[in-house]
Amino acid sequence: MLRLEDVTVRFGGLTALKDVSFAMGAGEILGLVGPNGAGKTTLFNTISGLVRPKTGRILFAEREIGRLPLHARARLGLGRTFQIPQPMHHLTVRENLTVAQVFGAGKADAARVDEILEVMELSQHAERNAATELALQELKRLEIAKALATNPKLLLLDEVLAGLESKAKRRFVDKLRELHERYKLAIVIVEHDIETISTLCSRAVVLNFGQMIADGTPAEVFRNPAVVESYTGAADA
Amino acid sequence: MLELLQQSLFSGLLVGSVYALVALGIALTFGAMKIINLAHGELVLLAAYMAYVIESRTGWNPYAAIPLAFVVTGIVSVVIYLLIERIREHRELNSLILTFAIGIILTNAILLVFASDVRSTGSPFLQDAISLGSVYAMKGEITAFIISLAVMAGLWWWLKNSWYGRAVRAVSSNRDASMLMGIDPRRVELAAFIVAGILASVAGVALYTMSVVQPALGPGLTIKAFIVTVLAGVGSIPGVFCAALLLGVTEAMTVTLASSALQELVGMVLFLLVLFFMPNGLFGARARRG
Amino acid sequence: MRSLPALLILAVAIAVPIAFGGNSYVMGLMVSGLIVAGVALAWALLGNLGGMVSFGHAAFFGVGAYTSAILSAKFGLPVPLALLAGACGAALCSVVMLPALRLSGPYFALAILAYAHIFKILATEATSITGGSAGFQRFPPLPTILGLDLSSRVGSYGLLVILVAICAAIYLAVKRSHVGTALRAMAESEDATRVVGVNATLLKAWMLLLSAFITGLFGAMNAHIINFLEPDYAFSASWSILPIIAAIFGGYRTILGPVAGAVLIYLFDQIVAKELLPVGHEILLGVLLAGMILIAPNGLFGMFQRKTAKGAAHAAA
Repeated sequence: MLRLEDVTVRFGGLTALKDVSFAMGAGEILGLVGPNGAGKTTLFNTISGLVRPKTGRILFAEREIGRLPLHARARLGLGRTFQIPQPMHHLTVRENLTVAQVFGAGKADAARVDEILEVMELSQHAERNAATELALQELKRLEIAKALATNPKLLLLDEVLAGLESKAKRRFVDKLRELHERYKLAIVIVEHDIETISTLCSRAVVLNFGQMIADGTPAEVFRNPAVVESYTGAADA
Repeated sequence: MLELLQQSLFSGLLVGSVYALVALGIALTFGAMKIINLAHGELVLLAAYMAYVIESRTGWNPYAAIPLAFVVTGIVSVVIYLLIERIREHRELNSLILTFAIGIILTNAILLVFASDVRSTGSPFLQDAISLGSVYAMKGEITAFIISLAVMAGLWWWLKNSWYGRAVRAVSSNRDASMLMGIDPRRVELAAFIVAGILASVAGVALYTMSVVQPALGPGLTIKAFIVTVLAGVGSIPGVFCAALLLGVTEAMTVTLASSALQELVGMVLFLLVLFFMPNGLFGARARRG
Repeated sequence: MRSLPALLILAVAIAVPIAFGGNSYVMGLMVSGLIVAGVALAWALLGNLGGMVSFGHAAFFGVGAYTSAILSAKFGLPVPLALLAGACGAALCSVVMLPALRLSGPYFALAILAYAHIFKILATEATSITGGSAGFQRFPPLPTILGLDLSSRVGSYGLLVILVAICAAIYLAVKRSHVGTALRAMAESEDATRVVGVNATLLKAWMLLLSAFITGLFGAMNAHIINFLEPDYAFSASWSILPIIAAIFGGYRTILGPVAGAVLIYLFDQIVAKELLPVGHEILLGVLLAGMILIAPNGLFGMFQRKTAKGAAHAAA
């Protein structure tokens, strides 16, 4: 489904990602882990198209997307949420989903919009102004709802659980699992919480200073001494 | 032919120095407030007409008009600043339209008071040409060049050493941080506007001494100043100076090699080329887009 | 749009020829006012939907005018087709401007201004095609269709009213479409729209083309109505400036605002301003524009809309 080969990203003199390579299949839930500043968001930005890599290839469903602009990747089925929710301004929640649907999935389907609203528990907020009238949790759900409206095959979730306390987190994780099964989505999720990764993900990839230092099941990865060091090292700093 | 080119090169350099002054004025207000003052060209023109007034009324050298020009452009600058301050929403675009309107008001005010006749200095000293090697220059042009350099040096010193000057630089590069340092952005903005007015007044008087003025020149000056700032990119006074000289020289060459009608065209084309292919400007450091 | 302002405007539009049909001067004013209205509509569309303020619409106006005049005079194209060709010509010339879409607000506005200057100078220099600064006359006026002489004052008035209405309808249709919704979001959250598949650049390009097309159409109409063309006139800055003032005065976030504003401003300029100050009358327009931005940036119709919106919200609550 998604494959990166030797992706390197540089910003001026700073190397944000170096020779990152991994692959994931259609049904997987992949956890992307690493201390702050490791390059996780940059990796997402590169995959979704906000950033162009210096070298390397990005293949989505066996198709090279490195040259495609953002919107084209979205139309191919690559959905993405932002860490700080970015709703579309001046539009209601429903309109947010409709626009995503029309431009991302190809045509309007009001029934499906209603369905997504229900699944993401946003039905009662449907007519509210997305940018000004929603609380943080609702905004996060909207982020995912928007991405869902584009009929994605792969969902990139950037720290969707940040800022939630543990009960809300668990509910969200259950919701993600529900989405994964219901819509047959592949998911890549950036997360700090080890427990979440272990329970939700079938695989985990660890980044540190822009480089991959581990790739395997969560259990394997969190036993890896290099990974442990990157976490505790970061905690000291 | 070579001599013609040399001449146009030289004349272009001299004119370019005045363009630099005008451009620095626009750049200063843009840096401090992030708005473009579309009436800036009219301020320069206003100053030029003040020089005309002084010369025609008293017979003194037009440069004696500089104090009057300071006062007039200073007052108008402050008024413009206060009006811009009152804009609540969509500051960037609304101030663009507001200064656009003010430009129209000033142009027509000048037209009403001075009529559309073309004016230029009658001073024989300034019109006298001297030769430097194989090129000629009017004394007016040389004086303007020297004074422009002096003013630019003064500006450079001010930005580097005076409190307000450094505050302007601080606000230009990071407004929020400078507020945290206790800098009141409004005072700094006002200072920037006033200094821009000073630059405009010198440029205007210089313009009067080396060229002709008429009420319709306002928008053209603003556009040239803008072209220069785009060519130069964000950053330094030397950059603006070089870009202004480049514009002056290119225009002069076009007049010599092609026709005077294409003079304006070349500036526009240069502008667009740089905007599209070198958005950082020829000498600039930071990106300009978005 | 079964709203009061729309019906009012329609009523006035119908009443004018009935009351003043015989008065050539008044009808002439209305015709010119409608031309400005068309351009103001196009400008507002670009500003409102496209999110781009332009200072150079005169470019589209002039290109439309010259394209239509040249095609009808030198190539014998029937005037209705020439008008459309003029509009297409203007749209084509906006394609050249597409790179400017990448620029932010003020830079875009001034880039378009630069283009306008370039086109004007090109038109002046290409004397063999355009007749240069000497001007260009001898091209056919509007034809007679179904017994209606469209070149008469009343005839051209009627045609213009219909054209303005059609353009307003197109504007409304776009605004209400999914494209319009996406454009609304793009103003402040362009990346958010891109991420869900909106080709933001393409949509903005379409708005630029549409705005240019409409402006070119009215430029072409104007050429055939006054039957005279020269670069300083066709590309005059007034065609950039008046629509801006009209749109801001009338309310550039509304559809009918620019239309009403244009007619009012044009009449004001011709009847009041030019009488008071034959030279420099533009100063009054400048004052008006500055005043509107400071006091009522949403224009006349904008203020009206605000009030009714508040009323509706009150009723719903």
